Amino acid sequence: MIDNERRLFFKKASLGIASGAMLLTPKSSVAKSVANKNTIGSYIDLSLCDGCKDMEVPKCVSSCRDKNSIHFPEPELPLKPYWPRKNYEDWSSQRDRIDRLTPYNWTFVESVKVNGEDIYIPRRCMHCDNPSCLNLCPFGTIEKTKEGMVTIDRDYCMGGAKCRDVCPWEIPQRQAGVGLYMKLAPMLAGGGVMFKCDGCADLVSIGQNPACQTACPKNAIKFGDFEEIKALAQKRADEIGGYLYGLDQSGGTGTIYISKVSFDEIDKAIALDKLEKDDKKQGRPHMKVDVKDNMEEASSWMAASLLAPIAGIAAAAIAVHRSKK
Amino acid sequence: MKIQRQSLSNRIVHALTAISIFGLFFTGFGQMPVYKRYMLNEVPFMAWSADYHITLWWHYLFSVILIGVVFYHLTYHFLRKEYDILPKKGDMKHSAEVIKAMITGKEEPPSEKYLPEQRIGYAFIAFWIVVMIITGIIKAIKNVSGIDMSLEALFWTAQIHNLGFMMLILGVIGHLAAFLFKPNRRLLPAMLWGKICSCYAKSRHSQWEEGVQQSKEVLKHHGGDEACNNYKH
Repeated sequence: MIDNERRLFFKKASLGIASGAMLLTPKSSVAKSVANKNTIGSYIDLSLCDGCKDMEVPKCVSSCRDKNSIHFPEPELPLKPYWPRKNYEDWSSQRDRIDRLTPYNWTFVESVKVNGEDIYIPRRCMHCDNPSCLNLCPFGTIEKTKEGMVTIDRDYCMGGAKCRDVCPWEIPQRQAGVGLYMKLAPMLAGGGVMFKCDGCADLVSIGQNPACQTACPKNAIKFGDFEEIKALAQKRADEIGGYLYGLDQSGGTGTIYISKVSFDEIDKAIALDKLEKDDKKQGRPHMKVDVKDNMEEASSWMAASLLAPIAGIAAAAIAVHRSKK
Repeated sequence: MKIQRQSLSNRIVHALTAISIFGLFFTGFGQMPVYKRYMLNEVPFMAWSADYHITLWWHYLFSVILIGVVFYHLTYHFLRKEYDILPKKGDMKHSAEVIKAMITGKEEPPSEKYLPEQRIGYAFIAFWIVVMIITGIIKAIKNVSGIDMSLEALFWTAQIHNLGFMMLILGVIGHLAAFLFKPNRRLLPAMLWGKICSCYAKSRHSQWEEGVQQSKEVLKHHGGDEACNNYKH
């Protein structure tokens, strides 16, 4: 209880100080929005999704590929390993794979059996409220649009894959042989470009729906005002006596899954399927319920950074006073 | 025959600055995805180095120490009106003369408490520390839930922070490279124990009034100025 209160105090204090600091900074250059809750969010209703099982490629997947194929990487061959390591990440010879996330497949439909029932789960970036990929990108190339879509600037991404390492679901995927690193020091630093769902940020910014929603024949995917989306998701979950996923995970995300089956069970089924297929590669995210907010401590540290000058000044004043005695 | 050159306060500030800057270098480098690639995490006891959350936690800690120390340092010297370390007009020219004299073995022009190249080095490192603190604080603010920044702001803050990182490394290398010159090594004990040889102060820092005065007082007990007759730094 005390811990929670203290955390709340730090959070409030740091936000207060931060707001002050932001007010002192030119508005156009820095402050974009305070209270970065997604204005546009989405739900994915697993009780409606049938994975387009009668089609060769699920519609959300094919529409995503159609829309984004112009952004797919065309690597310079032959690819070189990430020295001193002997590996590199290359999906260019497996462009047709739709069984996982790749640089050429930004959404895929996970398919598992839970209690004898087929469950289809469209997977893609969750568009977190406070994305650790964005916060920890060392080159500042990930942005959250004002609508709430998390996008990677592919022109400046160095492909270090840190965003994937810090993403709770390891969503972004890397293709070697493309991007800025090829022009700098391809042998020594960088590893390609990271690719992931950008929430069709270009469409959303002009008030249109993302391609996956437009293509979904079951209306299982819906984007919209996030407050409304949340209310609709809750209502639907109440109707089916189901579960929600995405509101609390990673400190809150802009995507809510609705399911009749508990996400614990779905996660276990995904893990089991991967185990049975000896599938250790990235690109098939888990669905663990307990996903902590990686940036949880950021507000306390920011408060400490902003209080450090006061501590320094006070200590100096005391030291000078004592030296004069 | 030693005199006081650096107060305890200055030595603590210097030590904490050095520790925090080296800590920030290491943990900051850890925020670049390099330790895993270059297999540092496979060295025994270094597995943690590739964990971004651990290196970030330490990066924050070292930055809080550095920010506190910087403000302490500025306030302390401002209140005491001590400005010896700030660059002066002609420092570039005089630095060249001092360095030339050290290389050729000729007599150096007299210096004040600090050598002109020390003042320039201080200004260079101080400037980039300030840049790092400002960009670092912006990055820390950005990490807090509820605050978004434009891509331009994110990009340039990161680039300037990374540039500052490289410039600070250069600054520290330059600072340490000063000790390649033998005469400068005499200054090392001052930052560790606070004292230097009074003959050294008298001969090299003859325009440092307080130092010269202290030296005279000390030398009185050792036969006066003649005690330094055979002194060579």
